[in-house]
Amino acid sequence: MGNIEEVLTIELPVGENFRIQRCRYAPTQGQSTKRISVVSGIHGDELEGQYVCFLLGQWLREHPDTIKGTIDIYPAINSLGIDSITRSVPFYDVDLNRTFPGSKNDFLPAQIAHGVVNLMRGSDFAIDIHSSNVFLREIPQVRIAKSQEDVLVPLANLLNIDFVWVHDAVTVLESTFAHAMNTIGTKTLVVEMGVGMRLGKAYGHQLLDGLLNLMAHEGILDIEPLKVRFPIQSHVGEVAYLNASCPGLFVPVIDHCQVIEKGSVVGHIVSALSGEVLDEVIAPIAGILFTIRAYPIVYEGSLLGRIFGEKQ
Amino acid sequence: MKRFDIVTLESPNRAPLRIEGFLFGSENTQGPSVAIVGAMSGDHINQLYVASQFVEYLRTKEEEGIIIGRILVIPAVNAYALNMGEKNWPLDKTDLNMMFPGYAQGETTQRIASRLFDTLKGYDYGIILEGRRDQGMCLPYVKLVQSGYEDLECVKDLGLGFIHYRPHDPVETAMLQYNWQLWETKAFSIVFGKNGAIDQSVSNEVHTAIVRFLSKREMLNIPVFEGRKSNIVDPNRITLVKASRAGILISKVTCGTHVQKGEVLGKIIDALSGERLEKIISPCEGIVTCQYSHPLIFQNSIVFRIASVELCCHLETKKK
Ligand SMILES: [Zn+2]
Repeated sequence: MGNIEEVLTIELPVGENFRIQRCRYAPTQGQSTKRISVVSGIHGDELEGQYVCFLLGQWLREHPDTIKGTIDIYPAINSLGIDSITRSVPFYDVDLNRTFPGSKNDFLPAQIAHGVVNLMRGSDFAIDIHSSNVFLREIPQVRIAKSQEDVLVPLANLLNIDFVWVHDAVTVLESTFAHAMNTIGTKTLVVEMGVGMRLGKAYGHQLLDGLLNLMAHEGILDIEPLKVRFPIQSHVGEVAYLNASCPGLFVPVIDHCQVIEKGSVVGHIVSALSGEVLDEVIAPIAGILFTIRAYPIVYEGSLLGRIFGEKQ
Repeated sequence: MKRFDIVTLESPNRAPLRIEGFLFGSENTQGPSVAIVGAMSGDHINQLYVASQFVEYLRTKEEEGIIIGRILVIPAVNAYALNMGEKNWPLDKTDLNMMFPGYAQGETTQRIASRLFDTLKGYDYGIILEGRRDQGMCLPYVKLVQSGYEDLECVKDLGLGFIHYRPHDPVETAMLQYNWQLWETKAFSIVFGKNGAIDQSVSNEVHTAIVRFLSKREMLNIPVFEGRKSNIVDPNRITLVKASRAGILISKVTCGTHVQKGEVLGKIIDALSGERLEKIISPCEGIVTCQYSHPLIFQNSIVFRIASVELCCHLETKKK
């Protein structure tokens, strides 16, 4: 049974405290080997991580004797947001994942970010679980900045995910939780899976296996490593983006992320007013459709999908 | 004056988004050029107001023949958000001022930013009217980030009291000012007001500063009063006065007030019991440049920022 603590509190104006809660599992005997932080809910409209936290907690309660390290579970960083379908930090309307490393001397979101970094400082690993947003559905994937490739890709390969996407460093992403943690020596992986405001049970179980496997490899759990899938590596191919050519209602032909042929129809953009089909969305390359739009209203440019295709 | 659409974007159901520009001065002028960008966010009402008042001002001045440069004013970038009380792009909630330099093949707001930026490139000067990114209100100040291409000399011609001159944050690499500078426009922001509201005296001050700038930089042929000698401040020279408690904030001073050390600046009361939780005392002598403007305040929020050069230097030496 884990130890539940309120680890960060900030007073709110009217008779309430903002709080972050943590459930910590530690070895029943002996010294802790390593420490891992499992984090979700930096975005308040992403709930897949909540389910993974539940599954992990449930597993750990059933297998207390296997725990050799310290396992910290933080299901709801933006707790105000999680409990109110609000992606950003309420009141300030600021994306918490653009305010790291934060500061004690700044506004509420920056204080939360600062508190979060301090809480997790000293962890050997952190797994930051996101579920895209309400617009897009993603297959389980880990996204890694190019500069961190050597350190993080081997770790990501343990996580039982489908895709490892190494992307060019964008300066804006220096203000994310993952960047802040990687900078202070905590190996931090960003998992994206599923869709905002919903739960996908299968993905939750898939990532649970990955977490157990990673912890087995790192000596945090005294169990045999699991047999996990080896993710597709982005460096062997290219990502094609499908953006809407016009505004309208996007009606997918393909409901789930899957392997598709070049030239196949991904969906249609239609006009609710005139009854016309405005555009047919065609796969420009063959490969795996790892992102598909979940929210039907689109403008010109709205992302409809992403396909990863291997180089010929 | 030429009024034209810089960007139009069709919507699934509502009327198209139009970003309108107002262009003044002759096409073949030898004078320098400036673009002035107003509300990029749906709560930057004061910025919208100053920009549209400036259009009105230039229209009257145009007849007098005093416009010698080329002046483009874009009062509202995000009219969609303004028209529905939203701050950001209404569908995906992205901040248009976090999308620069834009990407013509990218997401909707990247495309909008890209098309807008295509128009903004090539201007000699770029003035961004910015609201705050927090719940504060402030004296008009210049925000100039260091990109390697910034021009500190020119912003002094505004004659505003304070220039915040500092290294750029990572997030600012996606903002207009930074990118505009990289394209060799002398770009800077004037930050002022309180989001969602219009302050007349602050608006007048910003208006005057822009007129002064355009006069000194030879885009308007008009005599102006000298402005202030600007103080260049970096964040280390500002004293932060923070709320130790959350509750209802009652402020006793306004932005611009010269306060003494030990002076009572305000109080925080318990929102439920009404009891006084904190008396906010100024730790130094200086000018209140910025204050928290929402009646409900959070623990550790910055209530006041006080510019006090001597005191801060003194504190720095004491710390060492
Ligand atoms: Zn997220």
